[in-house]
Amino acid sequence: MKNLNVFGYPLFIVFMAALPLGLDARWQEVAISFLVFSVVALSQDIVLGKCGIFNMGQALFFGMGAYCTAILNNEYGWSLLSTIPVAILIPALFGILLAGPIMHLRGDYLLVTTIGFNIVFVQAVQNNLGGVTGGPNGIFGLDSLSLFGHEFTDQVAVYYFAFAVMLLTLWIMRNLEHSKAGRALHYLRLDPLAAESIGINTRLYKIFAFGLGAGIAGLAGTVFVAQFTAVSPEGFGFMQSVLFFSIVIVGGSSVPGIFLGVFVMFVLPEVFSPLATWRYFIFGFAMIAAMILRPRGIWPAKFGNIPKFLIKESNHGG
Amino acid sequence: MAGNDLVLTGVTKRFGGLVAVDDLSFSVKEGQIYGIIGPNGAGKTTAFNCITGIYRSEEGSVKWRGEEIRGLTPYQIVDRGIVRTFQTIRLFSEMSVAENIMSGRHIKSSQSWWHGIFPTPGSRRDEKENWLRVQEQLEFFDLQDYATTPTGSLSYGMQRRVEMARAMAVEPTLLILDEPAAGLNDKETCELLQTIYKIRDKGVTVLLIEHDMDMVMEMTDYLSVINFGRKIAEGTPAEVQANPAVIEAYLGSEDDDE
Amino acid sequence: MDTFFQQLINGLTIGSIYALVALGYTMVYGVMRLINFAHGDMVAASAFVGLTIYTQVMGQSATLFSVIMIFLLAAVSMACVGVILERVAYRPLREAPRLSAVVSALGASLVIQNGIMLLWGPQMRIFPELVPQVYWEIGGVVVSLIQVIILILSLVLMVALYFFVEKTRMGAAIRASSIDQDAARLMGINVNTIIATIFIIGSSLGAIGGLFIGLYYRGITFNMGWQYGLFAFVAAILGGIGNIPGAMLGGMLLGLFNAFIAGYVSSTWSDAFTFILLIIILIVRPTGILGERVAEKV
Repeated sequence: MKNLNVFGYPLFIVFMAALPLGLDARWQEVAISFLVFSVVALSQDIVLGKCGIFNMGQALFFGMGAYCTAILNNEYGWSLLSTIPVAILIPALFGILLAGPIMHLRGDYLLVTTIGFNIVFVQAVQNNLGGVTGGPNGIFGLDSLSLFGHEFTDQVAVYYFAFAVMLLTLWIMRNLEHSKAGRALHYLRLDPLAAESIGINTRLYKIFAFGLGAGIAGLAGTVFVAQFTAVSPEGFGFMQSVLFFSIVIVGGSSVPGIFLGVFVMFVLPEVFSPLATWRYFIFGFAMIAAMILRPRGIWPAKFGNIPKFLIKESNHGG
Repeated sequence: MAGNDLVLTGVTKRFGGLVAVDDLSFSVKEGQIYGIIGPNGAGKTTAFNCITGIYRSEEGSVKWRGEEIRGLTPYQIVDRGIVRTFQTIRLFSEMSVAENIMSGRHIKSSQSWWHGIFPTPGSRRDEKENWLRVQEQLEFFDLQDYATTPTGSLSYGMQRRVEMARAMAVEPTLLILDEPAAGLNDKETCELLQTIYKIRDKGVTVLLIEHDMDMVMEMTDYLSVINFGRKIAEGTPAEVQANPAVIEAYLGSEDDDE
Repeated sequence: MDTFFQQLINGLTIGSIYALVALGYTMVYGVMRLINFAHGDMVAASAFVGLTIYTQVMGQSATLFSVIMIFLLAAVSMACVGVILERVAYRPLREAPRLSAVVSALGASLVIQNGIMLLWGPQMRIFPELVPQVYWEIGGVVVSLIQVIILILSLVLMVALYFFVEKTRMGAAIRASSIDQDAARLMGINVNTIIATIFIIGSSLGAIGGLFIGLYYRGITFNMGWQYGLFAFVAAILGGIGNIPGAMLGGMLLGLFNAFIAGYVSSTWSDAFTFILLIIILIVRPTGILGERVAEKV
């Protein structure tokens, strides 16, 4: 754990920062997707891994952010970057509103309800809700990334945008671990009654986690639009949500586990593209095998964000 | 000694047709160690659950320093300074002792929810401050050596101590202990007694359910005896011990126990 | 009025299919507290197996004998798949964290769904016309022979299941395991046998549901299982999860609800309405219409 913090993360970040230099256009595209999906998976981890909310509809918020950006750009001519506040706030608000009435439901009911939200969302954009979502074809021909009037046509710019968003997400997750709110999520996941009995408003913090996860996923949606300059409903379906859900659980709800999961689910299929039709068949077996062999995930999250002065005194600690 | 801190009047809790707590009234004064005893299934824990907001009693009132707290949620009740432990220890067993105690600092911490996203210098200071309070509790309960040990791997007696440390981290005015001596050996029970006295000396009122008669008689200032959800006697330990109804209902039925 | 009765018939037909599939979900959930995500895909697989039995084994003949054989063989093969699934993907995870079993179920679902795609191809296949296209028109309402068969056969199966669960020793053991698995084990019930039985019954009923889907809608696709499976699971929740009569009622109600939404409102929004109904029911009556009957896993 210590080695990971001291060497692992800096090395990973330096590697990712230098990555586009060594890649051709096709692999740069894959690398951007890796970053975007990582951000969504990390946002799902806040909801599912940390707070323990059985949410199987995270693609909904990813899609909602993407559609916010796309619609504002397409209908009102906003530049992509200027849509960011909306692409975060609208999904976050939606998350809070949706979470409010259902948070008290038992796990499996939450699972089905959130799947339901996801399906309703896809159906709504397919039916061209409000005449702005473009129906089944989606919205295409959007602007590329621009800043202060300068347009970036090179996708390396998109890569660094995605990279910045990923760094921001990692930073937020780190902050969470060292805050009252983040700890509250762990406590209420492990024992809701005990958490409530030492003064944690469990409902409030569940909704907080849901809203935060939705906001981050929405931001990832903006990056998605910047990459493809288009959106369409199938990118945000229930199947995507299943993948994000599985990545968090199979990864063990830890940051390295999640990166590994996203790599396996989204990057490896590009490496073995001749096997594309076998992709989900193999994943299915891999999911079963991973769970049987490592029920707590491949790289289980560890606790222990304790200040050093407490650790020094402890000589029994593990 | 000041006035009454916690006043229960006519509290009744039913589960279907079963009356678990029946018209229960008692009052706890500030600074007391107040005991509630009664045979198994007498409704003691249910009464505690009604006080701490886990259940809502159908009738009666639960007043804390003059304020009606019946119907509040558990976390709102903690906010008023009433904290409890559980008969079946409920720790976050995958987490370390220090993190468990830190959970008790939740309501004392000045951080808002959004500090979890964007920390400020103030929230960092608050974080440090609360860890220092955790350290104090570790020392008070003599747990320094186990700060990083997951609570799930500790002995039963140690877990009880961690749970009390967690509750004390909230800096409560009323500490409610649900059978704190259950499952402890004699040495641990002895230590527990000393700890409870030390907690009282800090100005904390203690309300406890206990099964261990000797312990209750020795340590409490005042106590109530419950049977079948009703209070059958109250008084100082000496008064209660002399009460024939208690001897018949409680002590008599427990012949085979010890 | 014609629309009303027409949608009533359509709704009861699709509702009885949902009910058959929902029984598999509700029985498994009742005892294991697990959403068997693969169940819907087994329903889909059954339709494809039926198609292959028809073309390869029965020489494309649609005599009464071959139809019965198709139903029997499809049900038996899905029962085998169900038992293997439970043995391989679920039994090792009974003591594991809940979410691990959920992910294993999702994995199994992907395996079966994509197995169908690899074996039969990704394009839509047409299910054989096993039942002659006979229609009756009664006062403007069209009723087909297929609808009548689906309705009657589903009812017979459900009544049979009801009596099996309520009146036999095995049924009593199943009910006991749904209430408290550990107590059932202490009373000498072999929970492994119970779970295997549940998978056999649930998968066979699901298989018949899958063949009905093929007969009724004709077009079958490898990924149709999620759609029907999810709806059937919603039906099980509506009726009260773990509750066998509840699943039947929930299936029928959901079928009728879908049909009336399609008939009177819009078919393009039917999924949305279904889930809005589910959410309202869960908020108003969180244990479903007839109440849930599940083992609490502590």
